Amino acid sequence: MNATNANFLTRHDFLIRRLHSLTGLVPVGCYMVVHLLVNSSLMNGPGAFQTNVNQIHSLGRALPLVEWLFIFLPLIFHAVIGVWIIRSGKTNTDQYRYLNNWRYTLQRWTGVVAIIFIFFHVFHLHGWFHGEWWLENVARPWGMANFKPYNAASTLATALQGFLWPIFYFVGIVCCVFHLANGIWTMGITWGVWTSDRAQKGASIVCCIGGIGLLIVGLSALSAAITTDVQQARNVEDAMYKLRVDTGEIVDNPEKRYHAPESLGDSTEEASPDEDVSE
Amino acid sequence: MSSPTHAEPVVHARPHKINVRILRQDGPGQPSYWERHQVDYEENMNIISVLQRIASQAMTVEGKKVTPVAWDCGCLEEVCGACTMVINGRVRQSCSALVDRLLKEHATEIELRPMSKFPVIRDLMVDRKRMFETLKRVEAWVPVDGYDDMGPGPKLSRAQQEENYPLSECMTCGCCVEACPQYTKIEVHRRPGETDDQYDQRKRETYAQGFVGAAAISQAVLFNSHPTGANIANERMAVLTGTGGVQDCGNAQNCVAVCPKKIPLTRSIARAGRAATLYALKRIFDH
Amino acid sequence: MAEQRVVVVGGGLAGLAATMKLTELGTPVDLVSLTPVKRSHSVCAQGGINSCNDQTRQLGDSEWKHFDDTVYGGDFLQNQPPVKEMAYWGPKIIDLMDRLGVTFNRTQEGFLDRRRFGGTLYKRTAFAGATTGQQLLYALDEQVRRREAEGMVRKFEFWDFLSPITDASGRCVGIVAQDMVSMQIRSFPADAVIVASGGCGLLYGRSTMSVFCNGSAASRCMQAGAKYGNPEFIQVHPTAIPGADKLRLMSESARGEGGRVWVPRKAQDSRPPKSIPESERYYFLEERYPKYGNLVPRDIATREIFNICVNEGLSVEAGRMCVYLDLTHIQRTELDRKLGGILDIYEKFQGVDPRDVPMKIFPAVHYSMGGLWVGYSKSGDGGLVAGHPQNQMTNLPGLYAIGECDYQYHGANRLGANSLLSCIFSGLFVAPCVRTWIQNQSKSAHELPASIMQNAINAQEIRHKELLGSTGGENPYLIHQELGDALTRAATVVRNNQQLESAYEKVSELQQRAKACSLSDSGSWTNQNVIFTKALQDMFPIAKSILRGAQLRDECRGAHFKPDFSMPSLSEEEPAARRAEAERWCDRFEENNRRFLKSTIATVSDEEPQISYEDVDTSLIPPRPRLYGLVGAEVIEQVWKERVTSPQTTA
Ligand SMILES: Cc1cc2nc3c(=O)[nH]c(=O)nc-3n(C[C@H](O)[C@H](O)[C@H](O)COP(=O)(O)OP(=O)(O)OC[C@H]3O[C@@H](n4cnc5c(N)ncnc54)[C@H](O)[C@@H]3O)c2cc1C
Ligand code: HEM
Ligand code: SF4
Ligand code: SF4
Ligand code: FES
Repeated sequence: MNATNANFLTRHDFLIRRLHSLTGLVPVGCYMVVHLLVNSSLMNGPGAFQTNVNQIHSLGRALPLVEWLFIFLPLIFHAVIGVWIIRSGKTNTDQYRYLNNWRYTLQRWTGVVAIIFIFFHVFHLHGWFHGEWWLENVARPWGMANFKPYNAASTLATALQGFLWPIFYFVGIVCCVFHLANGIWTMGITWGVWTSDRAQKGASIVCCIGGIGLLIVGLSALSAAITTDVQQARNVEDAMYKLRVDTGEIVDNPEKRYHAPESLGDSTEEASPDEDVSE
Repeated sequence: MSSPTHAEPVVHARPHKINVRILRQDGPGQPSYWERHQVDYEENMNIISVLQRIASQAMTVEGKKVTPVAWDCGCLEEVCGACTMVINGRVRQSCSALVDRLLKEHATEIELRPMSKFPVIRDLMVDRKRMFETLKRVEAWVPVDGYDDMGPGPKLSRAQQEENYPLSECMTCGCCVEACPQYTKIEVHRRPGETDDQYDQRKRETYAQGFVGAAAISQAVLFNSHPTGANIANERMAVLTGTGGVQDCGNAQNCVAVCPKKIPLTRSIARAGRAATLYALKRIFDH
Repeated sequence: MAEQRVVVVGGGLAGLAATMKLTELGTPVDLVSLTPVKRSHSVCAQGGINSCNDQTRQLGDSEWKHFDDTVYGGDFLQNQPPVKEMAYWGPKIIDLMDRLGVTFNRTQEGFLDRRRFGGTLYKRTAFAGATTGQQLLYALDEQVRRREAEGMVRKFEFWDFLSPITDASGRCVGIVAQDMVSMQIRSFPADAVIVASGGCGLLYGRSTMSVFCNGSAASRCMQAGAKYGNPEFIQVHPTAIPGADKLRLMSESARGEGGRVWVPRKAQDSRPPKSIPESERYYFLEERYPKYGNLVPRDIATREIFNICVNEGLSVEAGRMCVYLDLTHIQRTELDRKLGGILDIYEKFQGVDPRDVPMKIFPAVHYSMGGLWVGYSKSGDGGLVAGHPQNQMTNLPGLYAIGECDYQYHGANRLGANSLLSCIFSGLFVAPCVRTWIQNQSKSAHELPASIMQNAINAQEIRHKELLGSTGGENPYLIHQELGDALTRAATVVRNNQQLESAYEKVSELQQRAKACSLSDSGSWTNQNVIFTKALQDMFPIAKSILRGAQLRDECRGAHFKPDFSMPSLSEEEPAARRAEAERWCDRFEENNRRFLKSTIATVSDEEPQISYEDVDTSLIPPRPRLYGLVGAEVIEQVWKERVTSPQTTA
């Protein structure tokens, strides 16, 4: 028992812990899976990726609301409570070198890495807030908010140039994936889904396999992003953009586009023959 | 009757002396300090017999006269739970900690420390009242009407007995909570002028803020699965979902790895988790 | 009258049962114990608890037969009414424990499973794996915790009982005890005191008992004037494994589940036991006692092992008694289900899996049949009068004794799985008796002049201070070892008078030396040194009573065996001569009973035990030769049967 403000938390310990556990999976975990899957579509080329991104951004003005309500706030809740939980325990893998104890400790370490990673990751690409003032005066001067949804692949690839960012993303993805996979396993115990030893072992294997699968997805997205040819991608994206604006499938929003010092590009290559289903 | 014993033939060379390093503390709130002792090696020794020799020598390896090391023990066969301590960094019963095996782990020295999650009374003796208090809180008993002759108890299947029996072997030794990263030490110091009752009361209240720990969770599960015990299952669930309840478990599963009785604690924890889920849902919809 | 309270010293099965029942009846209890009661020695009990039951009944068993087996097993040295009452309570006690949630093993259909134990032909023993005592103790501990939560029980754990307090009339009105943590000495006024402090195995240095079983509480009562019954009857269990600190029991249940005791026919055969063929194994118990086989009573099994090892030289290991206890023919799953607890102990401490390799086992001091003398009130049907204040009361009014520390139930030898029964029985049974007693008192102990309590405290404080300051140079731990060695040599399986005499001298000398201990710790915080030394000093009255009692009892009875006074086996071959020999044997048997079928009563004055004898109530089952169907002794049984059925001898 450390701080006095822990009182509210301790009193509603159970509810908070269960909410924490729940938010880990729904929506945060689920979002992460979708996110990594979407990103991995970059393997099919910038067009496929752009199509997916467009789909997301077809939410238009609703998007920030959705982002905050269903992703950022739950994530922040999960993270804040996560830090509180971490502080309530004391890891002891030096004394008790059991596999599951390592997992416990790693769950905590990867949580901390996830906080840092996600904070910078969102800042780096998204910028956290959409307001022009924020973006102009804070995010961009710091070299952040690099992602342009209507130039998805190219801006992503640009942002990941060099070797520090890729390493950063690599570590972040590995940690988040472990955290989710192991988290689903512990969640099954927390909620009482798998109770017997055998069931717990079985679930552990399933989570492990799932985790490896997700890791492959996540890393392939990363490698696709790194290996994307920026110029080529931009051409594809710009062409798609024109097309979609013309058909009225997306709202013209220059802010979500890449603005180079000298704007050029016209080549018209079709990426994927997809129909968008925005409202 | 039986002379000093004779064990299985052992191949490795045995030492003549055993070095023991002990973390001592003269009383609650006092500083702790290391002390080194040496005893003659005998066959089939366990930590209890080492401590007995140390008590009878009452002298450190440097030849300094010291008070005997205080420790707790009882059955000497790992059923009473008294003799728990941290030996070579791992919590276990000192009566079943055989010197030969410890020397295999760490050849030059044996290190003894008191449990770190409980207030030290003296040396290797700690105060585990918190565990017993927790048993009270989770009402770890069968609420029978009385002790008159009312015929046999409820009939149980063999399968149910076999599921419950291991849980009922818990000897409140505290290994599980000592190794648990989520169970943290609570030490309540007496305030000047406080009466025994006030002090006890304050201790109880403070303990009630902490994690109940694997042993108590498992006991609650045991009694919830007994037909008569289940009559107060909701009261137990209220505690298990209250402050310091089952939700505080972080699934490190050290508890089950160190439990000397090999009690399937993580299964109990998961069962408690399931019951807590249902209990919480029921409370939401019943109100 | 002010509130009435009872002090219970000891929270083993007996003490907890009494506490639980007293609080149910509305009497608050102060429970004083050396250790958290959940850790009391009763946790060690492995094998089970006896009662006549539905299964055995159909084979002809009854409470009476259980009573008869107990008395026969105890060689008729116990007063029969309490034993009868206990046997008749057996089934009820099992039912109660079942209701309290004890995880007794179950049959396929869900009934309580039973196994056979020594000294009976019926499967009377209910069990919870091989940790029955633990399960029973926990069930009672839980109920007492429940009463504690309700405020009816105050626990004083890590407190050492120092002495009873008596008022001018000699009535026991409380106790003095010492907090082993803070070393505070205080009084606990009480309208009655129940001592349930268990056995005294620690006198022998190493035994199968816990470190708490030092007999100090009983000794302190004895020094306050209480009588001690049958001290010389110490049970040596045939099957244990030795360790540097303790002799660990391998329960009789191993044999109850089919375990077989044998030695190789060739002395110290060095082959691994599994490779010794059947024909070269000597299953000596089965051969000599075909009826009971490996489940003869403990005193007999132990003596047979002694005989095989010492007289016949067939010990598995040269130089000490050791035989095989073999379970390897039984299915592993069956073993794990029923004996897991003890097999784990063997494996843990010996490093060998007894499921694969026969265990090597040794005899070890195990139980004290003797204990504080207690009275009883006989009912019309030969049992006890329920609620009568004399039941379980020592000769100090208001001081009761129950459990292993009373002498009441097991006579000269205890049958396996009867002790847990006697402990719970005496605990439950004593509660209403104590209630009657306290209700009959005109004044509550809390209303007595404070000086009574203060004087008692002062006496203990003086003793404590003197000890802390003592500088005689003796080391209490070493004296304890010597005491253990002396008693183990002289007063275990086989006894003879010279040895007893010289052991007595040795023990007297040790007693003097124990007064001159220098303590390596003279502090006033958790001083285990001084607590131990006090317990050591208090071992002597009982130790000396054991030796003196044994010395004066020139016969063989149950666990007390003196070859110099043993009944000879029949040697005549020719039927008529053999019969005449058997007649003489029976004459001698009767003669011996006239002299020695008496309880030994020890008291102490000036450090010396005073021994007297008291008649035993054998009014329900007349004594008979205790042969257990020994091969070659059939004629004796025959002759005896004729004697009791012919009118002139049944007078
Ligand atoms: C290894 C083993 C196995 C056994 N197996 C069986 C079995 O299968 N079946 C069977 O029927 N019997 C068995 N017995 C015998 C049986 O266990 C004991 O006789 C019985 O448990 C004694 O119970 P108790 O309540 O009298 O005393 P205990 O359980 O010994 O309790 C004594 C209590 O008195 C307290 N105490 C002692 N001295 C003091 C003091 N000075 N001040 C304060 N408190 C004090 C202790 O703290 C403890 O709480 C076995 C015995 C042993 C050693
Ligand atoms: C990528 C984003 C994240 C995802 C997908 C995620 C997912 C999960 C999941 C599914 C659990 C299991 C819950 C349970 O055991 O009941 C969990 C547990 C946990 N998370 Fe996260 N989490 C994320 C980010 C974070 C962050 C940023 C932190 C903060 C440090 C964090 C800290 C924790 C902790 C400490 C636990 C263990 C809780 C416990 O054992 O009770 N997580 N997480
Ligand atoms: S659960 Fe195991 S480790 Fe924990 S107190 Fe009980 S016996 Fe000890
Ligand atoms: S599983 Fe839970 S109770 Fe067990 S050690 Fe881990 S955190 Fe503690
Ligand atoms: S002394 Fe009882 S568990 Fe070690």
